[in-house]
Amino acid sequence: MEYLQVVYAFFACLGGCLIFNVRGKELFFMPLGGAVGWLVYLLAAPFGSDIFQNFVGTVVLSVYAEVMARLRRKPATGYLLVALFPLVPGGGIYYTMEYCIAGNTDLFLETGLHTLGVAGVLALGVLLVSSVVRMFNRSGWYRETNCK
Amino acid sequence: MDYDRLILMASDLGHLLLSSGAEIYRVEESMNRILIAYGVEQNDVFAIPNCIFITITTPGGKTITKIRRVHRRANNLDRVDRANDLCRRICREKPPLETAEKEIRGIAARPVYGLFMQTVAFCLVSFFFTLFWGGVLADAVCSIVCSVCMKGILLMSTRLRAYDFLTNLLASAAAAFIATAAVGLGLAVNYDKIIIGALMTLVPGITITTFMRDIMAGDLVAGLQRLTESLLVATAIALGVGLVLMVPRLIWGV
Repeated sequence: MEYLQVVYAFFACLGGCLIFNVRGKELFFMPLGGAVGWLVYLLAAPFGSDIFQNFVGTVVLSVYAEVMARLRRKPATGYLLVALFPLVPGGGIYYTMEYCIAGNTDLFLETGLHTLGVAGVLALGVLLVSSVVRMFNRSGWYRETNCK
Repeated sequence: MDYDRLILMASDLGHLLLSSGAEIYRVEESMNRILIAYGVEQNDVFAIPNCIFITITTPGGKTITKIRRVHRRANNLDRVDRANDLCRRICREKPPLETAEKEIRGIAARPVYGLFMQTVAFCLVSFFFTLFWGGVLADAVCSIVCSVCMKGILLMSTRLRAYDFLTNLLASAAAAFIATAAVGLGLAVNYDKIIIGALMTLVPGITITTFMRDIMAGDLVAGLQRLTESLLVATAIALGVGLVLMVPRLIWGV
């Protein structure tokens, strides 16, 4: 039942694609990244840490984005933007605000810090993959689009 | 070689990329490559999310500078993709400037989804995110109502040229109001899930990730600018939702 979320994530990302004016076959491949990311998040549940789950999910979807970027010859950023949608801690942000209003300082701080942690981990995952790819790829890419 | 025209063409492409939401390094690199392709080795390009500065020194020793402001930005992945392709092609083939200019205009004129599709997109996102975060079907349907209402507010304030802060505040307040009203009337169950789902289209998650990447890539000014932007949006949303949730608490002490 939990895995139904993967399907939801796919269609939610499809909506995201439309907002970003994506056209053509990418309307399938970009949301697929979001679904893959969330599937990995769920599969990593046995490790028992929400932060770690987010990290693994982000790393896998970043790799997916880089691979698709090479295969489909599109900028990787598009795949990333759409696929990160389900992992963005929208719920965390909301509950942080709600606890703040309710005057529940303990829960407010706890949720707020946790949300910050998740956001940081998302950025870290994306950065890790894209910097590794850039490092290994730099010389090759420069040759390919040699401007001289 | 008409260098005035070349710098105009390069800055047009940069403007197109930046206004479609491309990353800073992509904008700078693209313009840099195009200028080198046409034989201008000495060029300096600097971009921040709402401005491009570009200076070249022609082989004849003349210096030309151009500044382009970018007033409106909207994420448009289709344009980024095409402009990126075009940039690579220009570098490879070095077409006459007229051809390149024509192609850039062609990309800028490419269609965007109409109002109906945009509303459908908003509905898709909010419907499935409400389910995704654990709402029941009634919640998801309610969040569709929220997002249609939000889209209306966004559209209106674009027409009225309201500030983004006010727009986001109003839109999120409307979503929160509809959600709490629906739960109060017994039409839906979890108002929190509805609000989270409906607000996913506004939450600056993307901007936050982009700002981290800008900072890491060394584009500090651009990064700070985006950070400020995302904080403003987040504050507006929190204020909008917070107000609506707080007022009943103050009145009825719920």
